[in-house]
Amino acid sequence: MIRLDDVSFRYRAGKEPALRAITCHIRPGELVGLLGRSGSGRSTLAATLNGTIPHLVRGDLTGRVHIDGEDIRAKRPRDLADRIGFVFQDFEAQLFSTDVSLEVAFGPENLGVDRAEIARRVERCLGLVRLSHLRHKAPAALSGGQKQRLALASILALEPRMLVLDEPTSDLDPAGRRELLDAIRALRQAGDLTLLMIDPETDEMGWADRLIVLDGGQIAMDGSPAALWNRADELDALGVKGFTLAALAGRLGLRERWPDAASAVDAIRRGGWQAVAGGAERLHAADGARALGEVLLEVDGLIHRYPDGTEALGGVSCAIRRGEFVAILGQNGSGKTTLVKHLNGILAPTAGDIRLAGQSLRGQPATVLSRRVGLVFQNPDHQIFAERVWDEVAFGPRLQGLSEADVRRRVEEALDAVGLADLGDADPFILTKGSRQRVAVASTLATKPDVIILDEPTTGLDFRELQGMMALIQRLNAAGHTIVIITHAMDIAAAYARRVVLMQGGRILLDGPTREVFADEPRIGQTGLTPPPVVQVGNRLGVPALTLEELVSGLTRDAGAQGRRGDAPTGDLGPRTSDRIPGTSRP
Amino acid sequence: MNLFLYLDRDTCVHRLDPRTKLFLMFGSFAVAVLFFAPIPLLLLLGVLLAYGTVGRALGNLRRIWPLLLSIAAVSIVSWSVFAGGSTPLLWRATREGLVYGIGAAVKIVSMIVSGLVFLSTTKTEEIVLGLIRLRVPFQAAFAFSLAIRMVPTIIGTAVTVTEAQRSRGLDTESGGPLARLRTYIPLLVPIFLHTLRNTDQLAKALESRGFGARRERTSLLEIGFHARDAVALALGAMALAWFVWLRFVW
Repeated sequence: MIRLDDVSFRYRAGKEPALRAITCHIRPGELVGLLGRSGSGRSTLAATLNGTIPHLVRGDLTGRVHIDGEDIRAKRPRDLADRIGFVFQDFEAQLFSTDVSLEVAFGPENLGVDRAEIARRVERCLGLVRLSHLRHKAPAALSGGQKQRLALASILALEPRMLVLDEPTSDLDPAGRRELLDAIRALRQAGDLTLLMIDPETDEMGWADRLIVLDGGQIAMDGSPAALWNRADELDALGVKGFTLAALAGRLGLRERWPDAASAVDAIRRGGWQAVAGGAERLHAADGARALGEVLLEVDGLIHRYPDGTEALGGVSCAIRRGEFVAILGQNGSGKTTLVKHLNGILAPTAGDIRLAGQSLRGQPATVLSRRVGLVFQNPDHQIFAERVWDEVAFGPRLQGLSEADVRRRVEEALDAVGLADLGDADPFILTKGSRQRVAVASTLATKPDVIILDEPTTGLDFRELQGMMALIQRLNAAGHTIVIITHAMDIAAAYARRVVLMQGGRILLDGPTREVFADEPRIGQTGLTPPPVVQVGNRLGVPALTLEELVSGLTRDAGAQGRRGDAPTGDLGPRTSDRIPGTSRP
Repeated sequence: MNLFLYLDRDTCVHRLDPRTKLFLMFGSFAVAVLFFAPIPLLLLLGVLLAYGTVGRALGNLRRIWPLLLSIAAVSIVSWSVFAGGSTPLLWRATREGLVYGIGAAVKIVSMIVSGLVFLSTTKTEEIVLGLIRLRVPFQAAFAFSLAIRMVPTIIGTAVTVTEAQRSRGLDTESGGPLARLRTYIPLLVPIFLHTLRNTDQLAKALESRGFGARRERTSLLEIGFHARDAVALALGAMALAWFVWLRFVW
C-alpha cells in the first residue's frame, strides 16, 4: 500500500515545484496508469516512492510518503528494494552482468539471500518473463524486448509487492512492447502485485484499474479507464491523448466502451453504420491525384554484410521520387536504419548500388553527401554539442564553407521553419526533448538537403510535442522537401506518410501507397506489426480509412436505424491532404 | 557487435578458479618485467600462447592483431634508432638497439596476450568473486567490473555520435593535427554528456537492485580450488622459479 500526504518537491535547480501537494492512496493489488505531458511530474512522483527522491536526486521534499504504513523519509532505494521495485525506460543501463541468470541473481545477492533460495528465485523469475531458455546467454546479446523483460525479472527476484514501471516500453519496438506487456499481464494474474506504470500511450492503459493524470505537478484527473473513456476533450487539454476508439464512438454517437477493434466493429454494425457506397474508390482516387516528381534516390539490389558476416540487408531495391513522404516500417533488426545509413554514405554497400539523381554514391564521402541527403538521428543528444541553439544549427552550413551572411540566412530560415526563431540564444541542454529534437531537425534543414531522413522522430515525445513534430515534417514536405521517416508508431505512418515501405529480415516485404499497404493486414501481421485501431476497424467495415476523419466520413447509417442518420459529419480531414503521391515501385 | 572479450567455452582453463588464473597472469607479468633479452621473453610468449590454446582463447587475438602488430613495429623501430649502441646497422639504427627493441616488443605483446587469455576465459563475475575472496572490498571489486562493462557502452555511444556528426558534414578523417583536434569537440561533448547521463541511470538502477544494502553479500556463483588448480598453480610456480633462476643464477 502506497500513501502520499501533501507531497511537494522542487528540484535543486528548478524554479517551479515539480510536485504540488499530491495526496493519494494506492490500494494493494491495484494497477495504476500514470499519464501526463512531459514535465507534468510523472517520473518525479514515481521517484518519491522508493526514496530516489530525495536520496539520489536532490531538492526540497515536503509531505509524507508511506509504504505499508511506514514513513520512508529516511530510507534509501536500496533499503526498500525488497518492498518496492523499479523498472526504468533505459534497459541498457539496468543490466550489469555477463550472464542472464547472474543478472537476476544480482539483487538477491545484495540482500544476502542464501544461495539455494537465489537459485529458486532465478528459475521462477526467468520463467515468469519467459526467458528460461536464454539463462546462460549474455544480456548484451539479447533483443530490446528481451533485455527489458530481463530487467523486470531481475527486479522481481527481490520479491517486492509493489512495482513501479517508468515508461518501460518507450524504447522498444512493437514486438518487444507486446512481449513486455504480456509479461506484466501474466504477473498480474500470478499474484497480488501493486503496479504503478507510466506509459505515454493511453490506448495501452485500457486494462488498468485506475488512471491518474498529472498536470503541473498536481493530480488533474483520477478515475477508472471507463470513467475517463468519454473525457477526451479534458485529456486533450492536459496534453494527453484520449482513447482512440472512444473518439470514434463519440463521433458515431455510440456510448459504449470498446476494449478492442473487433468489439468496436460489432458495435458499429449493430448501431446501423455501414460503408458509404463508392467511398473506397473515392479515397483511392484522391490518393493518386498529385503528379509525381522525377526519381531522386534509387536503391538497386543493395546488400550489406557487417564485418562479422551477418547480413543486414539482403537485396533491397526501391526508388524515391522528389516530393514523396515515405515511412519505413519494421521491427528492430529488420534493416531500416542500416538502409538509410547507406543513403547518405555513412555505410557503404557490400553489393548493389545507390544513385542520387542518376549518379552513383560509390566513392562519395558522407561529408559531401550530407549536403544533399540529410539524416536526423533518433536521439538529438547524440549530436547536440554547442552552447547556443544558433551555433548548433550553424554547424552544418559553416562546415560547407558558406559566408557568414549565408550562414545567418540559412540558420534563420531553419529556426523559423521549426518554430524556434526566438530561442537562437538559448542553451540547447535546458530545452525539452521535443525542442531538442527540433534543433536537430533545424541543423539538418540548414544544410538544405534534397532529401530529409528522420530516424524515429517522435520517440520520447509527449502527445503535444509529437503532433507538433509531425506537423513540422508535413509542412516541410508540402514546401517541396522529400521526406523519409523510420517509425514504430503505426498511427503516425498511417496519418502522414503517402507511401509505406515495410521491411522484414533485411528485405522489403511490401512497398506501396500507405492505404494499400495498411489494407494488407495479413502481411503486416507477418512482421509482428498491427495497423492502428482506426485502420483495423475501417478494413473490417470496408472503409480503407487511414485516419479517424476518413473513417467517420466513409460511414453512413442505414434508414432503419434510429437516431441520427445520413452522412456522418465531415469537415477537417486531419493531417491528410487529398493530393497524394502513390508509391512508385513494387517488390 | 560484441565488445566483450569473454568466450563462453568449456575448457580446463575456463574451469580454473579465478584466483589461480590471477596468480598465473601476475606471475607472467613478473617474468615479462624481469627480462630484457628477446630469447627468454619469446619463451614466455610461447608458454602463454600454449596456455591460451588450451583455453581456446586465441580467437580474440584476431580482433586485436593490428594493435599488437603496430605496438611491436613502433617499439622495434624506435628502440633501434634511439637506444644507441656500438654496432651500426642502418642509418642511426644499431644492432643492440634492434635487439632491445625486439625484447621490449615481445614483453608488451606477452603481457597483452596474458591479460587477454585471462579475460577471455574468466567471467567478470568470477573475477569479482575471486577478488572478494582475496579480501578486496566488494565495492572496489565491483567498480572494476563496472569499468569493464562501461567500455562497450562508451564505444557504442562514440560510434553513434561520430555517425551523427558525419551526417552533418563533419570530416573526421582528414586535415592536420590542429584541424583534427577541432573536430573532436563536436564528438567529445555529446559522448561525455551521454556517458554522464548513463552513469546517473546506472546509479539509480544499482540502488533499486539493493546494491550496498547489506554488508554481507551472498553469491549464486561458486568458486573453489580443485585438483586442477593445484596442478596449474604448481606448474605456474615451477615456471616462475625456473625463469627467476634463469635471470639471476644462470
